[in-house]
Amino acid sequence: MARFHNRKKKVFVKPIVKKNQQQQSNVDHITGNKIPKSFVFSRGKLPGPLRQLQMDLRKLMLPYTALNLKEKKRNNLKDFLNVAGPMGVTHFLILSKTETSPFLRVAKTPQGPTLTFKIHEYSLAVDIAQSQLRPRCPQDLFKNPPLIVLSGFATGDEHLKLTTTMFKNIFPDIDINTVKLSSCQRIVLLNYNKDTKLIDFRHYSIRLQPVGVSRRIRKFVQNHQVPDLRNLQDVSDFVTKAGYGSESEADEEAATVTLTSDLSRVNRASTKSAVKLQEIGPRMTLQLTKIEGGLCSGEIMFSEYGNGGDKRKADSEEGNGKEDGENDDEMEDSEEDNEGEDNEENIEESDED
Amino acid sequence: MGKKKDKALNESESTIDMKPMIHENAQFFDKLVELIPARFYLPDEKDKPWFQGLSKAEKASAKKQSRENIKKARRDRLDPEKSTKTTLDLLKENLEKEKSNMDSDGEEKEIEVRPIMSDLDGGEERSVTYEELRGSLRSKIEELRGSRNIPSSDKGKKRKNERNDKKGNLQKKQKSDGVVEEKKIDSINDEHNVEKDIVEEAANKLIFSRVKLGDNEDKREDSKKESTKSELLAKHSWKSAMDRAAGIKVHDNPKLLKQSIQKEKKRHQKNAEKWHERVETMKKLKAEKQQKRSENIADKIHQKKMLRIAKREKKLLRPGFEGRKGST
Repeated sequence: MARFHNRKKKVFVKPIVKKNQQQQSNVDHITGNKIPKSFVFSRGKLPGPLRQLQMDLRKLMLPYTALNLKEKKRNNLKDFLNVAGPMGVTHFLILSKTETSPFLRVAKTPQGPTLTFKIHEYSLAVDIAQSQLRPRCPQDLFKNPPLIVLSGFATGDEHLKLTTTMFKNIFPDIDINTVKLSSCQRIVLLNYNKDTKLIDFRHYSIRLQPVGVSRRIRKFVQNHQVPDLRNLQDVSDFVTKAGYGSESEADEEAATVTLTSDLSRVNRASTKSAVKLQEIGPRMTLQLTKIEGGLCSGEIMFSEYGNGGDKRKADSEEGNGKEDGENDDEMEDSEEDNEGEDNEENIEESDED
Repeated sequence: MGKKKDKALNESESTIDMKPMIHENAQFFDKLVELIPARFYLPDEKDKPWFQGLSKAEKASAKKQSRENIKKARRDRLDPEKSTKTTLDLLKENLEKEKSNMDSDGEEKEIEVRPIMSDLDGGEERSVTYEELRGSLRSKIEELRGSRNIPSSDKGKKRKNERNDKKGNLQKKQKSDGVVEEKKIDSINDEHNVEKDIVEEAANKLIFSRVKLGDNEDKREDSKKESTKSELLAKHSWKSAMDRAAGIKVHDNPKLLKQSIQKEKKRHQKNAEKWHERVETMKKLKAEKQQKRSENIADKIHQKKMLRIAKREKKLLRPGFEGRKGST
């Protein structure tokens, strides 16, 4: 039986906040600055893997993003903008696809600059989890925002500086004095390769492991599993047996730290712990192609392929074919979704988490 | 006879023996006496300061005197140049004095003599030592000054170099600012950061999340205006883009600015209108109320008048009333 869709025009519903739920604060009460929030959405129809990538990016940006953002076909950029204002959303991450490759646009909302990245390669979180022997996803991994580390960006070029500022401000500030070590559980790495001009994008989870303890004891303490003492004569055999650890334990000196506070039962303050990163989340190789002064509009401040470049951002919504070597102004006009519709009604959202 | 000789010998021996013994004993006792501080061993020459019978001024001066004496005594005691008079010496002096002065001149004189003499001695010695000390101090100061001159000149040169650098490089200012900021953030992160940073070239420097520090405000320095218009525009656009990316609001767009001005104007207008309305309605109400009140008052007076007339008339309507006064 065919499904009957409700074709009635839906009135725009303001997102109602339930009383029990905690409303997400706009201002970070620790640093006093506004917490940056983001929307991750797509323009045009995306194939399956790209939709998964969009979901992965949404999870990456948690907790300050709309996890269940639903967009309708008729939604314009203007609609998103209009909703973003009252909700305090500061950044848009827009995915789109052309014949050549998918693109990721990072834009700052009110009228901020837009960075356009071409995605050369990407891997989904599911693929990465499948490739690992012991994929790890603790429960409250996405409750705190990630840290971000940029490497190789310090050469001083204008566009690189803008990129660093953009990415640094997508995630909330960290106050060294009050930050709790247990809340820094994820880390996003961006590495710029000068030669190929490609940016590697990685997303890890941080794990602290006590160091200096033999593997057996550590496993026992962490997992509480009763060890197998069949072949041993005495408990001392178990405790003192020098078992060689895994491969990753060899390079411990480089990655050990001395904790300032108690992190968990096993990671105590002022004892050495090893910082272990395990990859979660999408993996991407990006190339910065364009920087625009406005939100997907405005003057083009930097373009990888020079002015009048052939990198076009055709929205499949438009369905217009563009020739190469067109003027950028015309491209901008087409990118602005001004179809004369003012449908604000179609943006549904469940609660931001 | 042998015995006598022996006795004599013995006596001589004993006398011979006695002398060193006595000498040893004497030395022993002298040492003991030296150990005792003079004021405990020797009889009190000075009268205990008796302030009670004196007047206020005398008391004050006496106390001052005693304090000064104490100071002098301490100085004398600690002065390395001065010869310390041990208890033994003082005792000997005392004995000599007693022997020489059979007449009692008065204890005060003796007392006076001694401190004065000690003063004189101490003073002379002290002046000598002062001069010596001053000379040594001067030489030391000159030495230090000489050594100080060498590094200070270097510092001055360094400052001059910095000034030249500042004047020279303006175009690189933005870059250098950026690098300096990053370096600052990096250095602070190095202190607090948990991982060890591998120090390599500038390209491999790590940049971290935005960290809240004490003074987080970026201080923008005014740069000299560039020559061409296009360069100015480009610079402005980059600057505004960086500011926007960092969260600072840049009011760039003339259209939007015009809009906001219009909004403000309209809001002002509306408020003025509302105020006028309020004033008007207030006036109206006031007028109405006043009118009503005056009406009511007039009414009341009228009513009273009517009542009086009615009362008057009522009397005349009595049955069997003969008539008014004027009518027959």
